[in-house]
Amino acid sequence: MSDEYKGYREPCLGILKKYGVKVWSEVEIETPKGMFEGLILPRSSTEDEFHVVIKMPTGYNTGIHADNITHIKETGFREGKYGIPEKEFPFDKKKPNVILLGTGGTIASRLDYTTGAVVPAFSPGELYGAVPELADICNLTTKKLFGVFSENMGPEEYKTLAKEIGTQIEAGTGGVVIGHGTDTMHHTAAILSFMVQGSPVPIVLVGSQRSSDRPSSDAARNLIHATYTAAHSNIAEVMVCMFGPTSDDYGLLHMGTRVRKMHSSYRSTFRTIGETPIAMVWPDRIVKLKEHKKRRRDKTVTIVPAYEDKVFLLYYYPGMKPDVVDAIIDNGYKGILIAGTGLGHVNAGLNKPLGRAIEKGMHVAMTVQTLWGYTHMNVYDTGRYLLELGIMPCENMIPETAYMKMCWVLGQTDDQEKVKEMMLKPIANEITEREPHNGYLIYQGGIPEVEEFLSTYKK
Amino acid sequence: MSEDVTKLGFKCGVEIHQQLLTKKKLFCRCPTFKFSKHHDAEVLRHMRPTLSEMGDYDGCALMEFKTKKEIVYLLNKESVCTYELDDTPPFPINQNAIDIVIEIALMLGCSIVDEMHIARKQYLDGSIPTGFQRTGIVGINGKLPFKGREIGIRQISIEEESCREVTDEQHNIRFRTDRLGIPLIEVVTEPDLTTPEEAAEVVRRIGRLMRATGKVKTGIGSVRQDVNVSIEGSTRVEIKGVPRYQLIPDLSRTEALRHRALLDIKDELKRRKITKSSLRTFEEDLTDFMRATEDPVLKKAVEKGWYIRGIKLEGCGGILTRNTQPGKTFASEIAGRVRVIACLDQIPNLYHTDIYPEYAGSHIDYKKIRHHLQMNDGDVGVIVWGPKDDTITAAKEIRLRIEDACDGVPGETRQHRHGGLSDFERILPGADRMYPDTDHPPVAITGDRVKKIAGHLPPKPWEIEDELISMGMTKEGAQKFALTPRRDLVLQLVAKGIDINLAEHALMNLGTHLRRQGVPIDNISNSRYLELFDEYKKDVFHREAFKPILKTLAENPSETLGDVLDGLNLKPVHDDDITAYAHSLLDEGLSSTKLLARVASHFRGRVPGKHVASLLGDLTLR
Repeated sequence: MSDEYKGYREPCLGILKKYGVKVWSEVEIETPKGMFEGLILPRSSTEDEFHVVIKMPTGYNTGIHADNITHIKETGFREGKYGIPEKEFPFDKKKPNVILLGTGGTIASRLDYTTGAVVPAFSPGELYGAVPELADICNLTTKKLFGVFSENMGPEEYKTLAKEIGTQIEAGTGGVVIGHGTDTMHHTAAILSFMVQGSPVPIVLVGSQRSSDRPSSDAARNLIHATYTAAHSNIAEVMVCMFGPTSDDYGLLHMGTRVRKMHSSYRSTFRTIGETPIAMVWPDRIVKLKEHKKRRRDKTVTIVPAYEDKVFLLYYYPGMKPDVVDAIIDNGYKGILIAGTGLGHVNAGLNKPLGRAIEKGMHVAMTVQTLWGYTHMNVYDTGRYLLELGIMPCENMIPETAYMKMCWVLGQTDDQEKVKEMMLKPIANEITEREPHNGYLIYQGGIPEVEEFLSTYKK
Repeated sequence: MSEDVTKLGFKCGVEIHQQLLTKKKLFCRCPTFKFSKHHDAEVLRHMRPTLSEMGDYDGCALMEFKTKKEIVYLLNKESVCTYELDDTPPFPINQNAIDIVIEIALMLGCSIVDEMHIARKQYLDGSIPTGFQRTGIVGINGKLPFKGREIGIRQISIEEESCREVTDEQHNIRFRTDRLGIPLIEVVTEPDLTTPEEAAEVVRRIGRLMRATGKVKTGIGSVRQDVNVSIEGSTRVEIKGVPRYQLIPDLSRTEALRHRALLDIKDELKRRKITKSSLRTFEEDLTDFMRATEDPVLKKAVEKGWYIRGIKLEGCGGILTRNTQPGKTFASEIAGRVRVIACLDQIPNLYHTDIYPEYAGSHIDYKKIRHHLQMNDGDVGVIVWGPKDDTITAAKEIRLRIEDACDGVPGETRQHRHGGLSDFERILPGADRMYPDTDHPPVAITGDRVKKIAGHLPPKPWEIEDELISMGMTKEGAQKFALTPRRDLVLQLVAKGIDINLAEHALMNLGTHLRRQGVPIDNISNSRYLELFDEYKKDVFHREAFKPILKTLAENPSETLGDVLDGLNLKPVHDDDITAYAHSLLDEGLSSTKLLARVASHFRGRVPGKHVASLLGDLTLR
């Protein structure tokens, strides 16, 4: 379909053609309800095919049903220009250099008020226009690697990203910021923690929970925190940087292997599981909360872009039948990462097919659905059986992180002993020896002392 | 004051924002009727404007950003969920609310759109946590009949209510969120109103029409009006949030005259050959030079560690003392900008040399200002005081306001103030600050849905009033009845042959009286009233008895009418019964002076006191 009729299908498409108008035509549309004046806008593919959308002079949009259109007269044509005027990002040789890699998602945007479109702002000049504070922090260059919704990220994207980080570090960048959708930010953070080892500089993933076109968005603040961290902090690790509380206050820097998105929409959705975050960050300072790898002056880093994608993340439920595991085996999967109940359990009926998998040379590992806590498969018979079969207990690795690690390990070797050794040897805090008392803090609303705390503290 | 502003080319349009009577809010399932001064938690936010494709910001948004407010929202868990705090996307829209808006739009003669698109209208003053209000057009091209002509209704939209401001001091503003998200209808008229009185009358009329549906909230704060005013040669100015329509005539008249005053200033500046580009100003930090001041205000500022900044406006001498509103000069226009944009909100927030205030040693300070600002005759100097950055912002705004004055009347949003006055609130936002809300899909409004609602429209209040008045009801009664659910009852009673004034008495006067006594008079259904009047027509009881009957009926909704009437002993009384009773009392030894009172009281509700008096006549005198 021609681009001139962006999104319109029959019957509206036919009507537009009949009257010789297209998207961006300025029109007067006659209907039994009166005349509507406006600019024809593109139609989204998720909206029905029966309405023509116009932007009226008041700025409001409205849809007119095809059946009600008796005549359309074109009065002009207004091309939606997306050429965004560039401002130069100011360069200061006293400031550190930071590279911002784009994977998708809109960390900053502009509004085309003519059409109401939200246009991503990504080049340094555009970002400078949208978030001028960045120029006070660093010299920023940007590179768009690809543009996907984060649920569509996969092995190719991870490898590209890891290799690019390697290239940038070897070229001497002072810090890496990665713009990323929030849905799978923790997956990417985990895989990068394995693919990129021994980085001399900070690598910070950042996104926004609320779209960046809105005045209340967390985008600008997150970006400022992340850039500050990449430019000035001493933390040479893979981290996620997002809001601490839902208020505009501090951001948190989370270890890439222990961070998880914990709420579908809250600004404060990202949390560290089973540990405390590395640090708190404000636009102008960082407060360390625990020990971390330190920044170095050299430009060396080890990139291991390995990935085996035939690995299954099996989320156990009561009554799961053996045929599920059989199907995984018979479809040629190399590994199964189980999120089991309690201390790492599944029903006994699965023992046989899991045993079969391991005998066939597959790799099976266990994590806990509860997210917090360790696997302790020696406590009950259930767990002991599974251990005897050869299932690897992943200690306190979060299921998503363990999944990413298994994909990474199986991308390097198929030897069961080697795999087990690599899975259980921590590289980046994916397994920790000790869980502190404040690693698990889920307080219930409604309890008086909790309500008291909330009412006195800015959320 | 009643100067005729129509000669100035007075043009006026109004916008009415009315809360709808729904159980739940517009985009979430929170209740719409929980208001409280108590809060369970606080959240802190800031607002950033969004760049437009032209590389600049919408002027209004930029202004708000300059103020750099710390915005705190107070939450009460009874009235908000995560949607209000912009931590959850909108839930599907409240369809009941849309139905109400369609109904009102049809009553105002509008065409209803086929597909409603929700738009985001940006506000950066913090009154909405997302930074924008969700709003959508439902009806267009309507008309309101008025004095033989038609007032155009430009559009009717549905939108979300904003937060209630609690405090606003310097850079800190606090909002309560209970009201946020309540569905609103917005009715926008064309600028067809030609006099200030007309504006008020039209607002009243539209308000009554909406109340006729019975589906809008009533009470203080449930409706707000914005008044748009311009005169020949001026720009549209919006006065927002006028709570009562009675304030509109003075407000709009004063505003029109303010426009004239500003146009006069424009002409004067032109005469002096001062333009935006030719205007020369000079700024200086005067803190050190003014440190020894004896003015208590400036002294306090200096003690706080604040700065004093001066700006010279060349050639503008005498401009600041020109009257713009009753009791206010052009200097107050400048002070308004300084207050809002530079956040120097402790009044007074500036002094100027055209009329420098008198205090001990003021002549010394005056000379210092003139000297350090290098002023000549014909110049005026303005000084402000506050935190350093704010004084710099203030000086910039002062210059900008003079530049605006060269163009005449700047487009502004103003707040109404006591006495028909208004003050600056923000730069008038452009129509361009709207863009589609992609979080919510468009809402198709089918022809069938509209037809169904159109088939059940309540009659317009003025039509009912006219009808009732023509039937003999008082004007006051007619106006009250037109808006109550009892209006149909009145018509039905008249159709049955009941005297309309009796109906008015029983339903309105007695109703109000009993309601004030705490009697749940609204319990009585229309059909009960009809039954009651049937009995009245049969002479089962006298007019006097309405009051006790209604009281009993209201308090005993499950009793039958027959039982109530029996219980009250309201059988018709003959004159013989009255005199017989009177005699029996006298026989018992009652003195004749007390006779009338006792007999009247005995037959109260069944026989009017006057009748008893005339009947007993001689007996009471004996």
